[in-house]
Amino acid sequence: MAAEELGGAPHGEGVVGQLSDWVNDHIRTVLLGPSLVALFVVFIYPATMLLWLSLQNTRGIGETFEPAYNYGRIFTDPTFWNAVEKTLIYSTGSLILSVGAGLAIALALNKVLDSRVRNAYATLILISWAVPLSIVGVTWRWMFNGQLGVVNKLLIDLGILESSYSWLGNSLSAMVVVILADSWSRIPFAAVVLLAGLQSIPQEMYDAAKMDGATTLQTFRHVTLPYLRPSFFVAGLITWMFAFRAFAIPFSTTGGGPGGATETLAVYIHRFGIQLLDYGFASAVSVFLVAVTLIVATGYVYFILEQIEEIEV
Amino acid sequence: MAGPNFTVEQYRRRQRLWNLLESRYVVHLVLFLAVFFIVSPLIWQLLTSFKTQQGVLELTYLPTEPTLAAYERALIDRGFWRAVVNSVLIATASTVIVMILGTPAGYVFSRFRFPFDNAVFVFVLFTRLFPPIGLVTPYYRIVTTFGLLNTKTGIVIANVYLWLPLVIYIMRNFFITIPQALDEAARVDGCTKVQAFRYVVFPVVLPGFAAGTILTFLYSWREFLFAFTVSTDLNSMTIPVATFLFVGDAGIDWAAMAAAAIVAVIPSALVVVFFQRYIVVGLTGGLKG
Repeated sequence: MAAEELGGAPHGEGVVGQLSDWVNDHIRTVLLGPSLVALFVVFIYPATMLLWLSLQNTRGIGETFEPAYNYGRIFTDPTFWNAVEKTLIYSTGSLILSVGAGLAIALALNKVLDSRVRNAYATLILISWAVPLSIVGVTWRWMFNGQLGVVNKLLIDLGILESSYSWLGNSLSAMVVVILADSWSRIPFAAVVLLAGLQSIPQEMYDAAKMDGATTLQTFRHVTLPYLRPSFFVAGLITWMFAFRAFAIPFSTTGGGPGGATETLAVYIHRFGIQLLDYGFASAVSVFLVAVTLIVATGYVYFILEQIEEIEV
Repeated sequence: MAGPNFTVEQYRRRQRLWNLLESRYVVHLVLFLAVFFIVSPLIWQLLTSFKTQQGVLELTYLPTEPTLAAYERALIDRGFWRAVVNSVLIATASTVIVMILGTPAGYVFSRFRFPFDNAVFVFVLFTRLFPPIGLVTPYYRIVTTFGLLNTKTGIVIANVYLWLPLVIYIMRNFFITIPQALDEAARVDGCTKVQAFRYVVFPVVLPGFAAGTILTFLYSWREFLFAFTVSTDLNSMTIPVATFLFVGDAGIDWAAMAAAAIVAVIPSALVVVFFQRYIVVGLTGGLKG
């Protein structure tokens, strides 16, 4: 063996030695195999079942194989398209708020020179990211409660509202509240990714811009933004993708209400699949959600790669 | 940007505006507002948790007679201390399994060529990008079939699905930063491939391993969707699920709900305070490469 000639490990004696030789010769299988087997069991098996279930009619008692049934329902059921619409509003709103606020925070953090102060700020801002998502939901539900909520109390004390407003009882304001709650938990991630992007910009670029007499605005536009673009896209894609599939926050803040006004696709799938036990329809909607996510993600990644190449040129 | 009507005066005014935006006052104002927005909902929960059931109805900002009774109602009367124990057990078991499986797998992807290696790696990324809500329906059926409904095992298995691809990806990115010459030197010095991984490369990647561990623990602790689907009984439900269950009550005991929420947030907050740097490394390490 080549390794032995180079002074590598000698071949072992006995059962233990043979086993150790076998492990050495099959190192990739030994180190990677268990993970792949695990992923096969916990992912491939349920994912295959998902496809299979989506072809079954499970509305009545038992299951019958009707490939077109559930997919047909998708295109004719107005509640499905309501969920699609709400999901788009929800994910777009959260994307804009999270990445916008995240950018402001990242730019500000990048200007704090004392690293202890910067870390203190970063720690406080990261806390909302670590809060369990159902806790985010019940917290915002409580703050915006119609009778006892602190938001109504504050707005009345400040003279902005005259009497309590039912935030979660009105379609539009309920959507605003769930988007705020969602952004609240996603802003730290966007801020962290964008800050990492800002810190990767070489100082020489700023020095060169200064030497050329560039204004602050010009420096921002022609140095900061182009370098930040990849981080911007990554933060945007991930924020959008996770907001698009959001379940815990809308579910625990409003339960999808009032009257489906905040029912995202994930809440919709949960309602049919787990509460109404209509597995087939829930699976077909899931397939739709997965397909949209993957198409957007793939297209976006290609787009990012092109963008990055442009920058390097 | 600078049109024909763009005068020197306008230019200077803009420059002043930008300089103002960059001043330390504005920087700290932005950060102060951000911290206020992030922290105030949790402060409100904390204040609520110290109120009496009657005190909640009085609509005051501060608790008039601060008490820990809400914690007693949530944790002892409702028995949610068991949900806390379940959460600790489930998050710990999930983290151990995911790190033991994912670390060597990430190493293989960072070092070795093998048939279909890129395809296998894309498969791992695919499982990561796949929306977990899509698997909930079949998973619920599988869990029911195998008698794993209302068990901690059922939740741990879901956590393995959720976080293993992420850890493989993160660990691969950390291993890639370590020169392959290190492995080769160890091999020349007489290490087997396993020894080279275990005693030479692994210690170097320890900070990345720590980041992956902390991230997985936090994610498992936070997880709601599968925990809620698999279990809503005290033998196996987690504290985020328990806290959510208050919402179903006819007259919600908001103080007790707030107390449960604070109990669920404390471990997360402590991890963030002590391991902030690792979390940032983990979050950004999972993106590059």
